[in-house]
Amino acid sequence: MSFNSNIFQDRVVTLALTIVVLIVVSSIIWPQQFFSLENLSLVLLNLSIDAIVAVGMMILLISGAFDLSVGSVVAFAGGFAGYLMYYWGVYVPVAILAALAVSVVIGFVNGWLVAKVGINPLIQTLAMMGIVRGLALMVSGSGIQNLPDSFNRLGQAQFLGFQLPVWYMIAIVIIFSFLVARTIFFRRYYYIGGNEKAALLSGIQVGKMKIYSFILMSFLAGLAGIILASRLGAAMPTTGQGLELKVITAVILGGASLLGGQGKIVGALLGTLFMGIIANIMILARVSGYWQQIIFGIILIAAVAIDLLLQKRADRMATALVKMKQFEKFDT
Amino acid sequence: MGPKHQIKIVLLFLASIFFVAQGCDPSKGAYTREQSSEVEVAKPVDENEEYVMVTTFVNFPMYVNHDQAAFLRWGKKMGVKTTVLGPTEWDVVAQIGVIEQVIPSKPAGLLINGTDPAIASAIDKAVDAGIPTVVYDSEIPNSKRHAFLGTDWYEIGQLQGEALVELIHGKGKIAYMGLVGQTNMENGFRGLLDVVKKYPGIEVLGKYDSKGSTENAAKITADLIAANPDLAGVCGFDAISGPGIGLAIKEAGKAGKIKVTTVDWEPEHLRLVREGVIDVLIGQKRELFTWYGAQFLYDMVHKTNQLSADDQKAGITNVPFAVNTGLLKITKDNIDLFDPSK
Repeated sequence: MSFNSNIFQDRVVTLALTIVVLIVVSSIIWPQQFFSLENLSLVLLNLSIDAIVAVGMMILLISGAFDLSVGSVVAFAGGFAGYLMYYWGVYVPVAILAALAVSVVIGFVNGWLVAKVGINPLIQTLAMMGIVRGLALMVSGSGIQNLPDSFNRLGQAQFLGFQLPVWYMIAIVIIFSFLVARTIFFRRYYYIGGNEKAALLSGIQVGKMKIYSFILMSFLAGLAGIILASRLGAAMPTTGQGLELKVITAVILGGASLLGGQGKIVGALLGTLFMGIIANIMILARVSGYWQQIIFGIILIAAVAIDLLLQKRADRMATALVKMKQFEKFDT
Repeated sequence: MGPKHQIKIVLLFLASIFFVAQGCDPSKGAYTREQSSEVEVAKPVDENEEYVMVTTFVNFPMYVNHDQAAFLRWGKKMGVKTTVLGPTEWDVVAQIGVIEQVIPSKPAGLLINGTDPAIASAIDKAVDAGIPTVVYDSEIPNSKRHAFLGTDWYEIGQLQGEALVELIHGKGKIAYMGLVGQTNMENGFRGLLDVVKKYPGIEVLGKYDSKGSTENAAKITADLIAANPDLAGVCGFDAISGPGIGLAIKEAGKAGKIKVTTVDWEPEHLRLVREGVIDVLIGQKRELFTWYGAQFLYDMVHKTNQLSADDQKAGITNVPFAVNTGLLKITKDNIDLFDPSK
C-alpha cells in the first residue's frame, strides 16, 4: 500500500503512465497515422526545442525562480548567429560560439540583477524579454534566409531516422538528468528552492548559484535558438513568442513547483512530451485551434489539482503512520 | 410476345444506340486526354476526401471571415471534407509543426497560409510525400509548392504610398506601422518607402510595431500626434492597425486632418471610412485565395485538365503556377458597393 502511494506520488511516474496510456489509445484509434516512426519522429522533432529550454527552466524552478525572457533569447541567438554568417561571412562555428556567448551574457545580467540587486525574477526577465526581442528584430529584420548549408545541416540532417534536434534534446536531457541527480553542485538548487535562508546559513553561496542558473537557462535557450534556426534554414525574429509560458506549463506538468525545491529533469522531458503528444492527437483528430487552448488549460489545472490531492493523501498517510508508530511504542 | 413488350424492346434498342452514339460523339470528349484509355481517368469524389488548411493565428477575425469562410463554403459546394488547423497565436514554428504532423495522415490536399519563408521546408516535406500543396496570401518562393495565390505586398505598400502622397499633396510628416519583422509587411513597408522617397517634402517619422494589438496601435498613434501636432498621415499594414489608428485620431479630434491609409476591409475599417477617419483602404481579395486555392488542389487530385500522359512524371502541374488575385481600393466614394448593409 505504502509502495503504491509512494510511486504515484511521483509526478514523473504518473505522467509517464499517462503518456503510455495516451500512446496505446491513440495507436488503437489511428494505427496508420499515430503509430508510425514518421509520426514519432515528427512529434519529437517538434518538441525538441521546447524540451531543451524546459531543461533549463526545470533547474530554475527547482531553485525557486523562472525566466520569461527565454523565447526572446531563442529568437535573438538564432538571429545573431544568422546575422554574423549571412552579413559578415563569419565561419559557422565562430558564429555559433558568438551567439552562445551573447546568450550567456544575457543570462548573467538576469542572474546578477536578480541575485545581487534583488530585482524580482518576474520583473527582471519580463523587462529582458522586451529588450532581447527588440534586439532580435534589429539583427534579423524581416528574417534572414539562405543560411550556409553547413549550418542548416546541424538541424536538418538525420541520424537513425530522427532529425538531429531530437538527438540534441536526448543528449541534453541525459547529461542534465545525471548532473542534477548526482552532483552536489546541482543538488544545492533543491536546498535553495526548498528554503533559501536555510541554504544560505548552511554555507551555500545562494547569490552565485542563482547567477549560474540564469546563465545556464540563457545558454540552453540560445542553443535552442541556434538549433531552431538551423532546422528552419532561416533566422526569424518572431520565433519563440509565447515559448516561456509553454515551457513553464510543461515543466510544472513534469513535477516542478512554482514555490521551488521540486522536480526532476526527466519530468521536463515528460511534460513537453505530454504536451507534444496531446497536440499531435488534436491534429490527427482534426480538433480546431480554439479547443486546443481550452484542452491545454484544463489539462494543466487537472494535473496540478491531482498532484495536490495526491500530496494531501500522502501527508495524511504519513501522519497516520507516525501515529501508529507512536501507538506501537506506547503499547510495548 | 405482346405489342407492349415489342415497344419496350424497341425503346431499349433505341436507348442503347443513343448511349453508344453519345460515347462516340467527338463533341463529348472522345479527343480529351481525360477519356483516353492511356491516361488516368478523373477520380470520383470520395466523401472522405479531405482538404486541410494550415494557417497560423487561426482565430484571427480576418482569416475566419474571409479565408476560412470561403474555404469551408467551397468544401460544402464540392461535397468534400474541409478542415482548418493551426495555432491560435502568430506562431510560425507551431504552424510548421502542424504542417509536418498533418502529412502522415495523407490529406487529399494541403492549403497553406504563406506566413514566412521559413515554412518552406515543411511545404517541401508535404510535396515530397505526394500531397498536392498550394500556398496562399504570401509567396514562399524557395519552396516546392505546386501553386500560389495571393497578392504582392510590395504593391500594397506602393498603392498605400501613392494614395497617401495624393492625400497630403506630397508634403508633411508621416508614420507607418504593422507587424515589424514579418516578411510580407516588411515588403509592404519597402513599397511605401520607395514611393514616398520620391517626394522630398515628406518626412518619414518612423516604422512602428503594432504588435497585432488595436490598443498598441492607438497608443503609438496618440504618442505620434502628441509629439507631432502637424502629423500629416499614417499608414497601417496589418488588419489591427487601422482600427487602432482610427481610434487615436478620433479621440484627438483630428479626423479628416490626419490622412489615413490602411489595409483590409473588415466592418470596423468600413465604419471608419464612413466616418471620414480612414481615407483609403487597400484590400486583398482573400476569398479568392482560398476558394481557388482549394479548387486548384481539387483539380490536381482529380486530374482535371491533365496536360500530359503523366503530369507528375513530366514535372508539371495542371494548375497555374502563381496567381495574383489583385487588390481593391475602397474610399468614401465607393464604400456602398463594399458595405451594402448600410
